Amino acid sequence: MDKLVCIFQRGAADGLNSLVPYGDDDYYLHRDTIAVPLPGEAGGAIDLDGFYGLHPALAPLKSIYDANDMALIHAVGIPHGSRSHFSAQGLVERGVDDKSGPDTGWLGRHLSLNPPPSESAFHTVSISGNVPVSLQGATDPLAISDLSEFGFDQDIVDTGYPDVLKDLFHDSIPFASTAQAALAAMAELRAANLSEITPANGASYPDTALGSRLKQAAQLLRSELPTEVICIDSDGWDHHENLPTFLPQSLTELANSVAAFYTDMGSDMSGITLLVMTEFGRRIAKNGSVGTDHGTAGLAYAIGGGVNGGQIVSNWPGLDITDPELGEDLNITTDLRTVLVEMLTKRLGGTDIGHVFPGFSGSFSAEVFSAL
Amino acid sequence: MKELFDIFNVAGFAESRREFLQLMGAGLVYGGVASTLPGCSSGSDGGTTSDSGNPGAGIPAATREYTTLKRTSFGVHRDEMLAIDSIGISAYLDQQLNYLAIDDGILEAHIQTNFPLLFQTPAELYAGFPANIASVLQQAIAAVHYRQIFSRRQLYEVMVEFWTDHFNIQLLNGLCPTLKPTDDAEVIRAHALGNFGDLLRASAKSPAMLFYLDNFLNQESAPNENYARELMELHTLGVDGGYTEQDIKEVARCFTGWSIYFADDPGGDAGTFNYIDAIHDKGSKIVLEEEIPAGGGQEDADQVLDLLIAHASTADFIATKLCRRFITDTPDQSTVDEVATAFTQSGGEITDTLRALFETDAFSNSADLKFTRPSEYLSGLIRALAPDTAYPTDDGNLFYFALAIMGQLPYNWPTPDGYPDEQSYWESTGGLLNRWRLSFISYAEFIEAINVIDIDYGPMLNGANTLASVVDAIINNVLMRPMSSADRNHILTWLEGEHGIPGDTVLLPDVPEQVAAAVAAVLVSSAYFQLR
Repeated sequence: MDKLVCIFQRGAADGLNSLVPYGDDDYYLHRDTIAVPLPGEAGGAIDLDGFYGLHPALAPLKSIYDANDMALIHAVGIPHGSRSHFSAQGLVERGVDDKSGPDTGWLGRHLSLNPPPSESAFHTVSISGNVPVSLQGATDPLAISDLSEFGFDQDIVDTGYPDVLKDLFHDSIPFASTAQAALAAMAELRAANLSEITPANGASYPDTALGSRLKQAAQLLRSELPTEVICIDSDGWDHHENLPTFLPQSLTELANSVAAFYTDMGSDMSGITLLVMTEFGRRIAKNGSVGTDHGTAGLAYAIGGGVNGGQIVSNWPGLDITDPELGEDLNITTDLRTVLVEMLTKRLGGTDIGHVFPGFSGSFSAEVFSAL
Repeated sequence: MKELFDIFNVAGFAESRREFLQLMGAGLVYGGVASTLPGCSSGSDGGTTSDSGNPGAGIPAATREYTTLKRTSFGVHRDEMLAIDSIGISAYLDQQLNYLAIDDGILEAHIQTNFPLLFQTPAELYAGFPANIASVLQQAIAAVHYRQIFSRRQLYEVMVEFWTDHFNIQLLNGLCPTLKPTDDAEVIRAHALGNFGDLLRASAKSPAMLFYLDNFLNQESAPNENYARELMELHTLGVDGGYTEQDIKEVARCFTGWSIYFADDPGGDAGTFNYIDAIHDKGSKIVLEEEIPAGGGQEDADQVLDLLIAHASTADFIATKLCRRFITDTPDQSTVDEVATAFTQSGGEITDTLRALFETDAFSNSADLKFTRPSEYLSGLIRALAPDTAYPTDDGNLFYFALAIMGQLPYNWPTPDGYPDEQSYWESTGGLLNRWRLSFISYAEFIEAINVIDIDYGPMLNGANTLASVVDAIINNVLMRPMSSADRNHILTWLEGEHGIPGDTVLLPDVPEQVAAAVAAVLVSSAYFQLR
């Protein structure tokens, strides 16, 4: 069963300028001054298949694609109809297309049905200060923003302070299980000596928030701790203005961080699935501030040994904004839940699809993953 | 999104941060207490515990008076506990609602003297920009802490925080360091207990908001919907409040031309409101099914604001958020309706709305239903020690990093929805650990050494000189709510084990103060203190 690393791009990443449909003339028609140039031109896209090309800032991911370890799913999303970041993130993380669904997260529901076998507090980890919505419903996910600073100094441990806390957070306290998980995690982390696990294979993480989080994810996965699931946020994708300046900065951080993780994990990637997703894509046409406004379909990335890589999964809907059927947004042709169902089914040991994605009636396979 | 500054790379903070992290890890305080302590004769056992059940929280119920203070202040202060016990909940809340009658002059004078950048105009701040960014941030955050900890207008400060979140503007965002101090004074603080309509209109014209949500870019030839969307979703109607994507586009058209004077613009001071008629969309618009006729100017957006202020969804949305703040994460609709009715009938008067909220049964029966946010937790640590006007000479850095690490640094939430107000967000393993570490270090002698706050456990102990009597004295004076005898005994058993003596042995001089610090740290680490 694979270990899972989920990255959520907060703020609605612009998929059209990340994986560029340079073969579609409408792309250049509607995005003129913010478009990524054709392959071969200065600052041009990196061709993948004669129609799509990577933004040049994603160049570090090209070798992963070429090694058949990365698939890109374009025109993907959950048809929730919301253009609000806050609502849409909630809906996508809950794995539903309408707000009447359960409050818990899709991954939390999967994990509650398939609890990790170990007693360890480290089975499910959010590398942030808070538990994301996607993990709500799981049993005691850890939320640790910096593993190197998580815990009491030995002097404090020696006073027995953690022991009295353990006594005080007995079962009838409303957040006892979170407290007990924190206490257990501290003890496990001390024993795991993560600081001695340094990047392998010459991997070099960028000195950024995402770089640090993925570096810590690699430390966890390479340690003795039985971590099964890791969730990570990537912030700052809401590029309403000056997209040609700001998007490359975000993409560079993403690509360098993910490429470093891939290098660091080396052959272990055969048992790891890394997903990158966002709440919705952005509008086809540029706005008045040299940026893009909130749209519908976006781009997702699947990376790992179990991915049918070297392919772009897409049933391209086109970019004709004069077509009233299509409207002003990139349309969703692959439901993100199709990709998630397939991932849970083929790589994570199976799941109760009706419980994890209530009301979802789409396809259960996108041929993104191969079976274990 | 505009370029963000990495807060931890702002010059001048790196050293303090290092120092703070060392303190977080060091456990300096307790080292002394843990050393072996001889004892001799026996003392008496106190009696401050209670086993009256509160099945909801699994701990003995807090009194209504305690809960009222926990909800309407940044932590229970002993003087206020005495006051509310004496005059009653209703009279206490009346005093707090009538905040201008409460003299806070000494505190405000201190803030004016020590944080002068907060009183500069946008043009003055722009003259020092960007070199002054770190100083503006530091002073703004320190002022928040001073007011949350020391202000006697506690309910007012709670509402200032509420509206700061509601109309969230991240300070480290482009020109916002030059604009947010004015927004804080003239929008949030001016109207926090005033009229919602006045507050909304002030916010809509606030240069900080016009910048943060991009409306300064919004013009007929290139509409920008960012402000229009958040105005309806976050400031008034709520996401399910009955507007459409088309309404967003139309509202954006109404707000075209609402901009700000930049440094070189003629006709106005930098960083003040500037309506530019030439870029205003003069066509007719339809907003929420109301026609806004062609040929209008600045008043198109005023008309939108009037529509939104009077809309039933706005009353419901504001009432829901207030109930979530003061009662429970999931308020029932009938309670929300009572509060929304007061909002509507008073024409958006915030004090009338709050008064109705405080009179609901749900408010009276809400003990321990809320989980403190980091700002309440941290300010509460200090307020539990009953500080008065002996203001710290520290520049606020300790609090800066404590809140940065706990994830609620004032003015630093990046998105326009403001810091979350739900337990599911704040209750996490990492969050609890940070609170425990802060609890542990905060009641230490070295806090006094760096002049954050004086801690004198002597009066609280009032002669208590055994482990048991110290535990009871600190429960009474710092926790200020009943603790179950089982939990009280967990703490005592721990101390007995650490010290190798029975709980009734009389301690040597000075030892009770050291034990008091340890007990206080455990108490504020516990669920009793984290709930509100």
